[in-house]
Amino acid sequence: MSMPYETRVAWQNRMLLVPALVLLVGFILIPAGAAIYISFTNDALSGFAAAHPQFVGLKNYVRLFSDDGFWNSLVVTFFFVFGSSIVGQFVLGLASALALSRPIAFKPVFNAAILLPNAAPEVVAGFIWISMLAGGRYSTVSRIVGLFGIPPQNWLQSVPLLMIIVVNTWRGIAFAMILMTSGLSAVPAEVYEAACMDGATPRQVFWRITLPLLRPTILLYMLVSTAGTIAIFGLIYTLTRGGPGGATEIIGIYIYNQSFTAYQLGYGSAVAVIMLGVSVAIGAIYVRILKVQV
Amino acid sequence: MKATMLRAVIALAIIAVAVIISRAVVGSRVVAISGASVATIRIAEHRQPRIDALNKSIPTIEKQLGVIIEVVEYPAPEKDYLSKLLTELGAGNAPDLFTATFDPDVPDMVSAGYLAPITAEVKAWDGYDQLFDVAKKLSTSADGQIYALDSMLAVEQIYFRRDLLDKAGISTAQPTSWKDLLDRAREIKAKTGKYGLLLPAGIGWGGGAFSEGFALFVPGSKTPQLANDDGTLNLNGQGVREIFGLYKSLIDEDLMPIEPLLGPEPWAIPKYTMFPAGDLMATTCGTWCYIYDWGKDSKNPVPNVTKNVGTWAVPGRDGGSSVTVSGENIWAANAKSAHLDLAKKVLLALSSVQATVAYAQLLGNVPARKDAADNKDFQTLTELVPVLKNVENGTFLKTAPGFSVVSEGVARATDALLRKQTDAAGAQAILVKYAKDLLGNNVVK
Repeated sequence: MSMPYETRVAWQNRMLLVPALVLLVGFILIPAGAAIYISFTNDALSGFAAAHPQFVGLKNYVRLFSDDGFWNSLVVTFFFVFGSSIVGQFVLGLASALALSRPIAFKPVFNAAILLPNAAPEVVAGFIWISMLAGGRYSTVSRIVGLFGIPPQNWLQSVPLLMIIVVNTWRGIAFAMILMTSGLSAVPAEVYEAACMDGATPRQVFWRITLPLLRPTILLYMLVSTAGTIAIFGLIYTLTRGGPGGATEIIGIYIYNQSFTAYQLGYGSAVAVIMLGVSVAIGAIYVRILKVQV
Repeated sequence: MKATMLRAVIALAIIAVAVIISRAVVGSRVVAISGASVATIRIAEHRQPRIDALNKSIPTIEKQLGVIIEVVEYPAPEKDYLSKLLTELGAGNAPDLFTATFDPDVPDMVSAGYLAPITAEVKAWDGYDQLFDVAKKLSTSADGQIYALDSMLAVEQIYFRRDLLDKAGISTAQPTSWKDLLDRAREIKAKTGKYGLLLPAGIGWGGGAFSEGFALFVPGSKTPQLANDDGTLNLNGQGVREIFGLYKSLIDEDLMPIEPLLGPEPWAIPKYTMFPAGDLMATTCGTWCYIYDWGKDSKNPVPNVTKNVGTWAVPGRDGGSSVTVSGENIWAANAKSAHLDLAKKVLLALSSVQATVAYAQLLGNVPARKDAADNKDFQTLTELVPVLKNVENGTFLKTAPGFSVVSEGVARATDALLRKQTDAAGAQAILVKYAKDLLGNNVVK
């Protein structure tokens, strides 16, 4: 007896999901499960534990909460995400989107200038900025600010966290601008026309119409950008490797340093598991604010 | 008929792909040349001068052993090289041959089961009798077996700018104690305004913070060896604390540069810029400094380097002095190599006079063999000839499982000192806690 048509179609649709499901299980769920398991062991890249990892229960997690380096990396990560993603990229991205939504001269040039940094791979962008910031009085930035009487500095040593925030902001404006542009295009023109006829000032239009109607786009941006910025690695590894003295050691760098510099895979996995929890919590908060089903 | 043929072709194609993939995964690399099977031995190497030195020896070894050698290029910084290598060793897909970066890395690689024992092959090798005793001792593990061959040696001491100290009227005589060394650094600072002495330190310097800095002062301290025969480690000793105290004095009195040591590639500015420019007057270093760091063909030459840059043995705490000898080109064979016997033969060939002299020419370490002194190419390395003659007078630290943890712990402790977050006792506590966390309380004394 052959299947009814609806059942057959339903099965066919399910089968279409199989390739994606296989990839999801193979490359995300199994590794994530393995990381959670390893976090309860003393597994290492070298030494006796590498050959004979042992179950250590919650030891890695207990150690983690008394580890100043871990707490330092959480604080650094917070300032990095807040400074570069939530403030820097968002504000400049929104400003760019607003500016470029109007008929201005050389619009394609500005568009390209904002989009270009995003085209450079992380490591390449890192090296570009090293050439700008490192070298003390010989650095490009020192020479430029020297024209205004500001003394030369080794920027990656004296204000490292601020510098990585600046670099990541520079790199991420394009993404914010693209999202905000799409959000702005969804705001009906009639709303602006009505406000104009009612005598609203540009400031009132921005605060009372544009921003409220952009809210879903902004929250979506915050969700994607926060998760993406927490996971950044290559840019900072190239620029500072987490130094000086842990000043730029965001959580991704900290996990790498524990796992592949100190060779403690178990401990590094414990940090990664905690960060997975933090990322999921942040995502849940955003989704709740968005009030949408994801 | 057509459909059957099509199915057969598809089946053959699938089998072919499967065979290719399986061979790639298993790593069984045998190339058929003129009907005969020739195995390929993969060698991990990093940093361009090292790769260049290796490539010089490959044609001879290939001809001699009838093997194909493939050089697998690894990341340049030692720490990145070792991280990648250990990851691949753990995953079971590392090359057949590789080097350990420092002696302290070897015991833990042995404990992990990564290294094949090579005792029988090394002792039966015609080069064994030519090895310096210190190289034999460095190569021998606590269990009496050889797992990695120290085919070259680095002789480490303090290198100083003789020309600039003479000019400033500062004594260049051998310092007699740690206090005398500190006083010399203070005098340099007072008379020239330049940094008096650099000891590698901090997390960014990786294994060098221990092997190129801290370890040099251990033999002359009140804790002259860190590893005991019973597998325990002396980390709570007075000597360890006092070495951290030496760092503390140099840092607090601004006698050594700190900022560059907290950044990426911390050796680059002090070693390659400040020392040649005369902004740093003395630093611990090895023979490689005369050739790779400041030699006439280096990127940052010090003119007439052997005349203008002098050496001091590392003084003991209260007197005496020591010159530390450590292993370089510490060749080891992957325990999971598909061609282990052949890999071991290539390993020994890489420890020949010709191969080690090729490395000496480009990197500045000395071959671990007595007969290298007779080699014409080596004799042209006038910076190294006297070093080779005196290499047996050097001292060295015994290593033990867990030494890579000690090395990382010292890097963390000195990093806290660089950031002025702790004192000598606090630095020692950081080292001890780190070692206890990873190795257990019973291992640390």
